[in-house]
Amino acid sequence: MKNLNKHYFNPFFSHIYVETAVLGHPFTRRILAKFPAAEIIEIRHYKDVFCRSHQSSALQHRSQKLILAAKQGTLVYEGAPVCQSFGNRYFYYTSCAMNCIFDCAYCYLKGMYPSANIVIFVNLEDIFAEVAQILRMHPLYLCVSYDTDLPALESIAGYVREWCAFAGKHADLKLEIRTKCADPALFARETPSPNVIYAFTLSPQAVIDAFEHHTPSLAKRLSCAAALLQAGCAVRLCFDPMIYVKGWERHYETMLAQVYDRIDMDKIVDVSVGTFRISQDYLKNMRRQETKSAVVWFPFQCERGYCHYPDALMEEMEAFLTGRLAGRIPEEKIFRWDMETTEHGKA
Amino acid sequence: MIYIFTALYCEAHALIRRLQLVKNQKTTRLQEFYNEQSGIRLTITGVGEIAAAVAVSSICTAYPPAEDDLMLNIGTCAYTRSAGAPQTRVFEDGEGVFLCNQIFEQATGRSFYPDMLYRHPFREASIVTGRMPWNADAGGASDNDIGHAGAGVDGNGYGGKTSGDAKLFHVRNDMLYDMEAAGVYQAGVHFFGPHQMIFLKIVSDFGTADGVSPGQVERLMEMHGDALLTFIGQLLERMTDERQRDTSPEAELADKLCRDLHCSKTMEASLKQHLHYLALAGADVCLLIQNLYKEGIVPCRDKREGKLRLEELKQTLF
Repeated sequence: MKNLNKHYFNPFFSHIYVETAVLGHPFTRRILAKFPAAEIIEIRHYKDVFCRSHQSSALQHRSQKLILAAKQGTLVYEGAPVCQSFGNRYFYYTSCAMNCIFDCAYCYLKGMYPSANIVIFVNLEDIFAEVAQILRMHPLYLCVSYDTDLPALESIAGYVREWCAFAGKHADLKLEIRTKCADPALFARETPSPNVIYAFTLSPQAVIDAFEHHTPSLAKRLSCAAALLQAGCAVRLCFDPMIYVKGWERHYETMLAQVYDRIDMDKIVDVSVGTFRISQDYLKNMRRQETKSAVVWFPFQCERGYCHYPDALMEEMEAFLTGRLAGRIPEEKIFRWDMETTEHGKA
Repeated sequence: MIYIFTALYCEAHALIRRLQLVKNQKTTRLQEFYNEQSGIRLTITGVGEIAAAVAVSSICTAYPPAEDDLMLNIGTCAYTRSAGAPQTRVFEDGEGVFLCNQIFEQATGRSFYPDMLYRHPFREASIVTGRMPWNADAGGASDNDIGHAGAGVDGNGYGGKTSGDAKLFHVRNDMLYDMEAAGVYQAGVHFFGPHQMIFLKIVSDFGTADGVSPGQVERLMEMHGDALLTFIGQLLERMTDERQRDTSPEAELADKLCRDLHCSKTMEASLKQHLHYLALAGADVCLLIQNLYKEGIVPCRDKREGKLRLEELKQTLF
């Protein structure tokens, strides 16, 4: 018998919603076996739960539920203009999971999805088939951890391992796995693969403390990145999004010192730099949900459907970081998002 | 505020007494009971989905709920079992209260999902809302006119379909069955989010509703009264905790500043946006506003001066 005491909320994944069609899928069985105490609720379609109206993602983040479903329709998408392609011509992304166990106050997922519950699509084989089909036409740069943090879900889904194995069989496929995760056990087992890039999103510790709830510290992320580099894996550092806080220069300066102390910058694939920007519609949703979050209530400048820091501040922040990085890494390896053209320009 | 809806007075009696609710004498259409101090409003909806939806809609229109209010549907229900199965008691005392995690509307096959956010001491189950009482011996909801006859539970746990209606929901074994929950949810969704709606059901029978008297229902509710009250009390406690965190002392000062800057609606929105951000970012907004008065920057003579002062102020904020 559970009790409602001072800890008002159910534990994470106390309830798992499963589409009837995937009840027997091997991944479903594997995931459910990890949660023997969870209430399993059979549903017809994941949208019956995920797309209900007037959900509170802020409250749901205090007791996230898991939804296991089959992804249908288009499974692989062309990269969005607000995302960096890092000079890759065929830039695509896929979502084998939606939402994240981390709770970053500025995360666009809060504006994009109607729910904070996590959906894992168990029909990974269908996504692999579609990727293989595209690979028959041209090479592919594929981001698999955009609408979630796949490594953070690894103990539940095990999809990083599946993707790495798939990439190992397709030389024309370049994978980006973006994460704030820093689980040494997860990364210790990885063998270097030239076409898998581990992209670590880095922020000053002050920003992590204020806005990146439940995420590992900067020191832990750097340790992980350093261990992967040591093992010969490809590592990208993403200083994106840069978040404005009072005294941001000092915080970002301190962060860079920590980065240089832990990371051999000569071995880094590349770095990305960009200040926080977001679709106006997403920001509207986020403000409705996150009434107490400074990061989404900043008085942004809005143009052409996107909101960003005022031009002068945006330029100052990005120039500051790219300037500091330029001395430590070749300029052609520094990618800076270009607001004017929504192209993926270099600094 | 917690809005409680029950179908019958006998389901509400124990709550009315224990929560010290008083009758609202000003209304005649619905029986309403409230306690302003504890923030509870209980309404007797009458039996059936339509009556329940009408009551929810009527009450929530008269007393519009706030974003952190909750809605509880509390009442008795049947527990579905195979036709002919022994109707022995399966629940120990205190275990007959269920929190519904899935609501099906029998007539349409539609499903609804209240969020399962809060810890609770109850068991959980799916509930089916039908138009007629559940009759286990007749194999389900026993009204031939609505085409449900025979849509009971077969040996595999799925109802035999006799109506030819593709949408008809097939009642399974070990589900709850009532006549209001789906109506309450569908009306409630116009006023509450799924995180605000909670459905608590107490099993009164196993498909023999005709044999359950109002007195028995009252005794049943009384028996589970402590558990229900503890749960409601803790929901109220959480709401109080959240509200205390939400108080913003700078709101009144910001309004005064807007007046003294002669703000238009647009200027007011812009100023409040900046002040709200600063407050969230940890700045002492009250002190900042008080300094503006000390330095004689406000009050302004007119809107033109106010606009200038506002722009100067915004420039100094970051």
